[in-house]
Amino acid sequence: MLTFVARRLLLAVPVLLGVVFVVMLTVELIPGDAVALMLGEHATPEAVAKLRDYLGLDKPLLVRYGAYVGRVARGDLGRSIQQNRPVVDELADAWPATLELTAAALVLAAAAGVAAGVVSAVWPNSLFDGIARVGSLFGLSMPVFWTGLVLIVIFALWLPWLPVGGSGSSGHLVLPAVTLALPSIAMVARMTRSSVLDVLHEDYVRTARAKGVAERLVVTKHALRNAAIPILTLLGLQAGQLMGGAVLTETVFAWPGLGRLMVKAIFARDYVLLQGTVLVFALAFVVINLAVDLAYGALDPRIARQG
Amino acid sequence: MTRSRIAIAFLLTVVLEIAGGVVAPAQAQKAGGTLTIVRPTDPVSLDPQLETTAPGAWVYFNMLEPLLTMDEKMQIRPSLAASYEVLSPTRVRFKLRPGVKFHDGTPLNAAAVKFTFDRALRGTPPARWASLAGSLSGAEVVDDLTVDVTTREPYGPILRTLAMYCTGIVSPTAVQKMGADFSRAPVGTGPFKFVEWKTNTHVILERNPDYWGDKALLDRVIFKVVPEEGARMIALQTGDADMVLLPAPAQLPALKRDSKYVVHEVVGGRVVFAGMHAALPPLDDVRVRTALLHAVDRKAILENILEGSAVPARGVLAPSVFGFKDMQLDRLYPFDRAKAKALLAQAGFTPGPDGVLQKSGQRLSLSWLAARGRYPKDGEITEAIQAMFKEVGVEAKVQFLEWAAVFTQFRAATLNQHMFTLGWVTSNADADYSLYALFHSKQVPPTGWNTSRYANPRVDTLVEQARRSLNQTEREKLYGEVQDILAREMVWIPVYNTKEIVVTRANVKGFTVHPVEYNLWLGKVWLDK
Amino acid sequence: MAVSAGSIAVPVANPAPATLSADAWLRFRRSRLAVAGLVLVALLVAAAASAPWLAPADPAKQSLIEKRTRPGAKFLLGADEFGRDILSRVIFGSRVALLVGLVSVSIALGLALTLGCLAGFAGGWVDGLIMRVVEVLLAFPYLLLAIAVVSALGPGVLNTTIAVGIWGTPTATRLVRSAVLAAREAEYVRAARALGASAGRVLTRHVLRNILPTVIVYSTLFMANAILVEAALSFLGLGVQPPTPSWGLMVSSGRDFLLVAPHIATVPGLAIMVAVLGFNLLGDGLRDALDPRLRGQL
Repeated sequence: MLTFVARRLLLAVPVLLGVVFVVMLTVELIPGDAVALMLGEHATPEAVAKLRDYLGLDKPLLVRYGAYVGRVARGDLGRSIQQNRPVVDELADAWPATLELTAAALVLAAAAGVAAGVVSAVWPNSLFDGIARVGSLFGLSMPVFWTGLVLIVIFALWLPWLPVGGSGSSGHLVLPAVTLALPSIAMVARMTRSSVLDVLHEDYVRTARAKGVAERLVVTKHALRNAAIPILTLLGLQAGQLMGGAVLTETVFAWPGLGRLMVKAIFARDYVLLQGTVLVFALAFVVINLAVDLAYGALDPRIARQG
Repeated sequence: MTRSRIAIAFLLTVVLEIAGGVVAPAQAQKAGGTLTIVRPTDPVSLDPQLETTAPGAWVYFNMLEPLLTMDEKMQIRPSLAASYEVLSPTRVRFKLRPGVKFHDGTPLNAAAVKFTFDRALRGTPPARWASLAGSLSGAEVVDDLTVDVTTREPYGPILRTLAMYCTGIVSPTAVQKMGADFSRAPVGTGPFKFVEWKTNTHVILERNPDYWGDKALLDRVIFKVVPEEGARMIALQTGDADMVLLPAPAQLPALKRDSKYVVHEVVGGRVVFAGMHAALPPLDDVRVRTALLHAVDRKAILENILEGSAVPARGVLAPSVFGFKDMQLDRLYPFDRAKAKALLAQAGFTPGPDGVLQKSGQRLSLSWLAARGRYPKDGEITEAIQAMFKEVGVEAKVQFLEWAAVFTQFRAATLNQHMFTLGWVTSNADADYSLYALFHSKQVPPTGWNTSRYANPRVDTLVEQARRSLNQTEREKLYGEVQDILAREMVWIPVYNTKEIVVTRANVKGFTVHPVEYNLWLGKVWLDK
Repeated sequence: MAVSAGSIAVPVANPAPATLSADAWLRFRRSRLAVAGLVLVALLVAAAASAPWLAPADPAKQSLIEKRTRPGAKFLLGADEFGRDILSRVIFGSRVALLVGLVSVSIALGLALTLGCLAGFAGGWVDGLIMRVVEVLLAFPYLLLAIAVVSALGPGVLNTTIAVGIWGTPTATRLVRSAVLAAREAEYVRAARALGASAGRVLTRHVLRNILPTVIVYSTLFMANAILVEAALSFLGLGVQPPTPSWGLMVSSGRDFLLVAPHIATVPGLAIMVAVLGFNLLGDGLRDALDPRLRGQL
């Protein structure tokens, strides 16, 4: 087990380094003199030279990369050009909101998705199943930003029950979380349904049923436990989808999180801040995937033994 | 006897009630409460040294006070300076109010005024507003409460300049102690002081209990960032916001009819225009520029995009500005597609295969840089004009970026685009402020604001003369001539003159909207709940 | 079948490769949803191809006085804030959606086929390097990679297409690689090589033929995602620039009028949904018909 954990952690390191490299590269892709553009009217010759030096633009790529990794490891993500504030401070202000939103959406996706999927699998081809499957297809196809706007129209014009923008009370969280969760609910429901269906036809389940074990027990104890692995994969993947979707949802609902910060950084050409936000998202995703991998080891001893 | 007593009692009651009714509103001012304001953009900074545009100004106007101020009728009034005396054409002596303290407890004195102006005019880099301060050269301490403000040469607009929103006096102690952090948490003398700024989310101010004048009635003010117009209006309706800046024009008629809200409006000082780069071919040809002016249906834009939230621009200045002359744009440049096409043909353009004009194999394709949401409907106006240009065979490729990036490019030493969408407000209501900075050939960015790169030696001479003169009649005449010349060689397509419109919930009292957008005074606002 | 997060389970070597044969088509036809998807996609393609004749009006023509007209006689789906016909813009918007989708799929497939075959055949450190790169790219949540690329390159159709293509490459590369690996092990391939056929011939004749179903299914499902990502980028202002009609851009500009004229933002969103739904249904149907074993991977 320990080797398994150790191996996984070790494998994550090159991925992390690779992520940092790609993030650094995106700034390199900028055509023209990025530095002057970034500094704008603050672009005195001294300031330009200072920033070029800081970004190490005159040094070879690998040296730049090494320096950047070093800075990141120390927690120095630079200063936001627009706000003239350390990027880590900007990120610190924004990430709790995004965490709140994505966590709520993930919980919603897991709960509603799994529940719907299980019910669908246990009563396949029923009315519920039919509605759930069609609903899932629609849910997958609806662009997140559109869903948000439609919900705003419904709740602002016709059913003024919930606040439709900004943050503050827990009521403010409802619509953004539901919007963000919808595609994930659809996917989780579909995956759960097919996983559970597959498992329900396995021999050992039939044996359990033949032995007279209660249906409920069959479903929860045997089927769900074994279907858990693909579902877990999916949830791990969904975390990534949710983070990307958070960018859109936060924009639509004016939710003050990392996503909105990122969009603002893009338009302000504040590449230092942009780098910081993309990095945080990517790193978080790597960590989540790592956690999912480790969870496998816990759930399925065979995988842990394989290492 | 009883009857007359009853009669008197009755009369007394009536009289008292009437008197009470007359007196009551003034006394019903309630202290306390939080005012929530929503506006589209976050400030870049709260320090006038770095920020002269509205997002920052709206906030710091209530924290930092200048020597003088301009009221809603554009009249100069004393502020931190209790009185002043013009000693010579280049020197004005101000007597400061005694006993005024900054938010950090240090006293306001002549040294602080000198510090503020030195920092602004001679700092590295100088303040963003230094280029708008004309010939202002600095301040000299005479004694603790007396300061002389000097100019390099006679400067007609001096008083109006010192009443500008961005010349607020800052606390030297705070600036020295906080360094770069001052720009995020300024310290001044205003009725409100800084509490916190959460980037992209909100700025919070609270009442300054030691204010020298009438203390503010509100406890707190929260400025929230809500980029989408629709979302701001929703916030107003749900009560999440008490005041909306840059409201949705489409909803104004309904809001005016609704007693739950008050629409405050006044003709403002800002002209929003599509600017042309007069040094970049083909726009260096005045025929092409004239054709473009004829191609734009300003009336349609005003009626359908601005929907009554603005008035047609009558020139490059707003009517409230001293020196304004109506440039008669409707007479000189009426909407006339045929005329536009004819002028372009004269300039040597012929229709190409896809309808876009061309000359010597080059398409008449203009690049355009614009932001969205900085000025009301700026993005929509740009798109509308783009379509109107298409109708006369001119192709315009618009690049939309966020205001900060766009602004950065406007302020750069070279502009690569043919067209740009921009607004200009004459913050001190004096024509010098605008005509000098916008059209003097030496005021090309980053020195000044002549983004069009317009150059006319006669205009240069006229604005220099008018700046140095202290004779207001003479100045007016000179500015009239400048505007006549500009009218013949337009480098702008002026679209509209703002109406400063602020919508509040009906329980927000004591607020008066100011013709100058930046002067968002909350010192007298109170909430009736 | 269990799917681990770290890698895709390699399908068991199968003597007979999946075919595009007649019974695949029969299987496809039996699913009503799959046929529905085919119909939707066909309609979409038809609309895009015949846009100039199908659209009742010029999508860029403004008529300010008729701004925000509700759906009705003159404007079947209403008019936007500039008085432009939304129906025409939606029809022309299908061109942008399909164009971006097709070109980005081509980019992704081109890169994936190259890299995947290289990884699958060369093996060793080449394989390792390519797979590490793929993992790194997959470490970026959903949209973020596309956003990062576009924000660096600048907004515009071309850059958006490139960004979406790059975004889709990692998953495609993985698929190609595992298909190559599976094919390499297949009996008939080993037999062919034993008989002396060169790697090149083996590659072209057997491997590519084997990958074809996977590629087809992947491309279809990728189109669905490509449309969504392009719409999202345009919605954020990073994609197509006005006045080109892109569904995402139309939704974005309709936001200001959400309460007074909701049709401006909601109608184009419906178009996105229908297009994505069509490709999803079609992709699902193709996968089930051609090779249901792929269900765990796609």
